[in-house]
Amino acid sequence: MVFNTLTFVVFFAIVVAVHSLPLAWTTRKINLLIASYIFYAAWNPPFILLLWISTIVDWYAAQGLVRARRQSSRHAWMLLSVTANLGMLLYFKYGAFLLQNFTVVMAAIGVNYRAPAMDIVLPVGISFYTFATMSYTLDVYLRRALPAKNFLDYALFVTFFPHLVAGPIMRPTELVPQFETPRRADRRQLAFGLGLMTLGLFNKVVLADTLLSGAAERVFDHGQIPGALDSWAGTLAFSGQIFCDFAGYSTTAIGAALCLGFKLPDNFRFPYAAVGFTDFWRRWHITLSSWLRDYLYIPLGGNRHGALRTHIALMTTMLLGGLWHGANWTFIAWGGLHGTYLVAERNLRARFQGFHPGPWALFGLGVLTYFFINVTWVFFRAKTFSTAWLVLRGMAGFNGGAEPILSTVFLASVAAIVPAIVAVHLYMRRRTLESVLARTPPLAIGVIWGLMAFAIIISQGSGNAFIYFQF
Amino acid sequence: MPSSTSSSERLTAADRPGVAQPVPTREIPDRPWWPILFGALLLAVTLTGAWEWHWRGFGAVPGYRDDEAMWARQRRRIDAGAGDATVLVGSSRTLFDLQLRVWQRLSGRRPIQLAIVGTSPLSVLEDLANDPAFTGRLVIGIAPDIFFSGREYRGTFVRYAAKETPSQRVGKILSMHLVEPWFAFYDPDFALFPLLRRQAWPTRKGAPDHLQVRKILVMEADRNTHMWSKLETDANYRALARRIWAQEFNDPPPTAAKAAENRRTLDQQIARTAAAIAKLRARGIAMVFMRAPSAGEYLAYENRVYPRRTTWDVLLAKSGTPGIHFEDYPTLQGYDLPEWSHMTKASAEGYTKAFYGILERKYPLTGAAHW
Repeated sequence: MVFNTLTFVVFFAIVVAVHSLPLAWTTRKINLLIASYIFYAAWNPPFILLLWISTIVDWYAAQGLVRARRQSSRHAWMLLSVTANLGMLLYFKYGAFLLQNFTVVMAAIGVNYRAPAMDIVLPVGISFYTFATMSYTLDVYLRRALPAKNFLDYALFVTFFPHLVAGPIMRPTELVPQFETPRRADRRQLAFGLGLMTLGLFNKVVLADTLLSGAAERVFDHGQIPGALDSWAGTLAFSGQIFCDFAGYSTTAIGAALCLGFKLPDNFRFPYAAVGFTDFWRRWHITLSSWLRDYLYIPLGGNRHGALRTHIALMTTMLLGGLWHGANWTFIAWGGLHGTYLVAERNLRARFQGFHPGPWALFGLGVLTYFFINVTWVFFRAKTFSTAWLVLRGMAGFNGGAEPILSTVFLASVAAIVPAIVAVHLYMRRRTLESVLARTPPLAIGVIWGLMAFAIIISQGSGNAFIYFQF
Repeated sequence: MPSSTSSSERLTAADRPGVAQPVPTREIPDRPWWPILFGALLLAVTLTGAWEWHWRGFGAVPGYRDDEAMWARQRRRIDAGAGDATVLVGSSRTLFDLQLRVWQRLSGRRPIQLAIVGTSPLSVLEDLANDPAFTGRLVIGIAPDIFFSGREYRGTFVRYAAKETPSQRVGKILSMHLVEPWFAFYDPDFALFPLLRRQAWPTRKGAPDHLQVRKILVMEADRNTHMWSKLETDANYRALARRIWAQEFNDPPPTAAKAAENRRTLDQQIARTAAAIAKLRARGIAMVFMRAPSAGEYLAYENRVYPRRTTWDVLLAKSGTPGIHFEDYPTLQGYDLPEWSHMTKASAEGYTKAFYGILERKYPLTGAAHW
């Protein structure tokens, strides 16, 4: 079930109403668990089995970890969890990709291998919930956390519908304790949660789907050679679209959880105001980047073993982070570019340790960061390397004589929306939404909220899936 | 305002490497949230009411949305016990010109309407050919410029119907009860981006700047469709609709390579159709092609680019299937087609009656069966 559909609106109204009934806390948690399974099954009911497998394997793995006396047993339980979760991911998400590449490698060495057709449907959200369940076992394994006290709290942590299919990727220590004591949203939480949901849906339905997606689609999907203006407009449109789509989802999820009395962590921190790529990754998809840092980069050695090992750990983490987004070499290239940026930034920081940029220099570095981020979005958005090269050539001005692609309305949309997004990020760089709202007159908040709701209604979104669902 | 909800003041997982992450904090700004919520709600409802009033003033009336979920509902009927019905496939002319109510009055049974606007019926035909649950009869509408060019403006319908999720199915049911019958503004033509798109933007030289097809239909719950009355009553809107169709009438003649490609496409369309027809015939399905009327410059364009001799006649011959062409029957001529392509509601009712009469007379089914 997608947040931006009428089905979800009705579902959510029922869930909030039922959750508000004066029932025992355990009963209300069971209600939430059932609702979450319905939420997931509404896509493809059989895939709920995968969710159960992931849930049960990690529950028993964590129990085993607690009981294990020897280190080898602890390793075994941890490996069981990692193997089961990554095995599912490998099969469903990367099976066809691996087979396809295997066939290419075989052909390169002269073996004519014909791969069987693998018509595998990707279970929605599998990348998110497998990471959430793995973090449960890994936290217990690393002795950062104790296992949940009961299976219901744990199952609800894995399945809780606001974060289930596209994050924020939750850690057990963030959510399980919230299920231990009765919670129900008070009136302020409910109203503010609805406000966040409106903001999130405005981002998704109005900005991403209605005003920005068209320009990106025309430049990246129509097979035409784009000139400089079209290449830049398409890429900038996508930079706005991907942010509004995904941050919109996260904001809606945070709002939905708040309406039920629960708190989810931030997933974005105005990333287009980032100065440098380390800063960017502290602001973009925070729950994924911190997951990769805690469970991949640090175990690989992090920055504890000299520059070379650090660079290798960074590149490995970012390449795998790229692959996490999709089974395509373009995503790996995207991750590789980010890894390269991070390595380069570390070297520059080491070389210019005494450099303290003033406000204008900071602004310039921010613009430079945004420029390089846009270059990476080309690989993220293009389905093939040939398309990516075409767009990059266009951005560099090498597609002279290309026919115009975007009509004025698309260019105007990009010109109006994308600078506004960046300007808002710059303004909000050291602020929170909450701190700004606390100083904004209630009348202005009400008018903006009402206008956003009206814009959502008249956009008539057709329930387009969020981009990150495919990951 | 695009934003997330955090700041550097509030720590996130990014600030806490390698430790267990604590329960997040989520402060609520100190504002009168309940009055703000009601104010926002009031504003949104008022603006939406004004929006609805505006579009009603434009002549819009509520109707069901012609989307893939709507089509899937009708497609599912074939697999849910109505597989022996008469099924109408084709593009928009089949949708507008064959009125289900009239057909039901004449035959005693309402057909299933599976025509798709701007889309060749070939993929639907192939879908039905591969579905043993379909045992009924087929009327296959042919709009030359769509069918023989293989155009698939909405080519995702068949795939969508096969893969529709429970959530999408429920969403359509809810929309058909809570939204579509009540709100005239809920129409793709009145959505925000199409509205923005048709403002008087400066032209960017060389960029594609075609006028988009405007609202011309009103649809009922079972996809019975008629022309929106505005095309009959508003001369300017009618002229606009004609201008939109006419955009492709004056395209320069294709290059030799393009002409050869068009010919290949046409041959493929006919060959695939003949193959699907053969499958259906093997199951005893009765079929008839229908060429519904067009008029004015549209008809002239079709006759010029898709002449009957090299398209329709070849299709009938290669598929071995009979067809009813409006030019062959005086009773199928003389109807009112305000924008040259589709009939008014009244004309469509007359046309359906005449067409059904010819069908029963020239191609009667065996026994007591009717089309």
